[in-house]
Amino acid sequence: MNRDKNLPLTETTYYILLALLEPAHGYMIMQKVEELSNNQVRLAAGTLYGAIENLMKLKFIMPLESEDKRRKVYKITEKGKDVLRLDLERMQHMIEITKENLNK
Amino acid sequence: MNVFKCFIDYSKEEKWLNEMAKKGYKFTNVDFVYYFRKAEPEDAIIRIDYRTFKKREDYINYCTLFEDSGWKHIVGTQWSGTQYFKKINDDTEDDIFSDSASKAGKYKRVSNMWLSMSVPFIPLLISNFYNGTIDINKILNPKLLYFTPGLWEKTGTNFWFAFLFETPFALLRGYSWVILLLVVILYVIFALKVKIIYRQVKREERAEV
Repeated sequence: MNRDKNLPLTETTYYILLALLEPAHGYMIMQKVEELSNNQVRLAAGTLYGAIENLMKLKFIMPLESEDKRRKVYKITEKGKDVLRLDLERMQHMIEITKENLNK
Repeated sequence: MNVFKCFIDYSKEEKWLNEMAKKGYKFTNVDFVYYFRKAEPEDAIIRIDYRTFKKREDYINYCTLFEDSGWKHIVGTQWSGTQYFKKINDDTEDDIFSDSASKAGKYKRVSNMWLSMSVPFIPLLISNFYNGTIDINKILNPKLLYFTPGLWEKTGTNFWFAFLFETPFALLRGYSWVILLLVVILYVIFALKVKIIYRQVKREERAEV
C-alpha cells in the first residue's frame, strides 16, 4: 500500500491546517479551530505550541512577516494543502463506503 | 520562606505549588530551592511546561501565546527549561495541554536533556580509562596511589604525618573518575525515570480513548 506516511492526520493537525488556509497567529489559531470544529476540538497553549513546531518541521506551514513582534503569524504551505487534500479524499472514501454498508 | 525540594514528577510538583498557594505562599522563583512570598491564600492553578528556546523571539512568542489564552508566565527564562504558568482567566481549561501526547512530549524533552548532559562525560571517562587513571590495580591495591618515596618504611608519627598529608591527594588521584561515573549514571537514571513517566502518560491517552 503506497499511502502517504503522514496520513491519517490527527484532528489537531487537520484543524490547524484548515485554520491556516488564512494567515493567523497562535491565539487566533486556537479560536479558529474551536469555531471550525464546532467546539469539539479545544487546543490548549502547550499543545498548540508543540503542534505548530511540528508542522513547521514538516513544512506544512510557514511563518510570515508580522508587524506584531510578540506574535508570530503562520500560513499553510502548498505541501500542507496537498496533505489536507489527501486526507479529505481518505475521509470521503470512508464516508461513502460507510453509507453503503451501514444502511444495509 | 524558602523550601528545598526535588521533583521528578511534574504533576506532583504542580499539586504541591497549588497547595502552597492555598496556604498563602506565593511562588516567586526556583533554582534548587523554591522561594515564596507571604500573600493572600489563593486557589491558584499552576502548570509546568518544559522547553528551551534558541531565539529570544520564539520565547516571547511562546509566552504571549500562553498569556493570550489565559496563562500568566510566572517563573522561568529562555534557557531555564522549566516554565511555570498560573491560570488568570476563569474561562480557560485547567491544563496547558489538551491531549496526552503533548503532555507526554514534555517528559520526553526533559529525558533528552538529561541524556545529552551525560554525553560529554563519556569521552572523559574513556580517556581516564586509557591514561591509566582508572586502573584495576589501583582499586585493588590503594598503596600504589601514594607517591611519597619510602612512605611505607616510615614509623610512628613520621608515618602518620606523611600518610595523612598525602591521603587527600591520593584519593583524588585514584578516585576522582568515580565522580564522573556517578554523574553519568545519575543522569541516565533521571533520563530513564522521566521516560517511564512519559510512557505512563501516553498509556493514559490510550485508556481515555
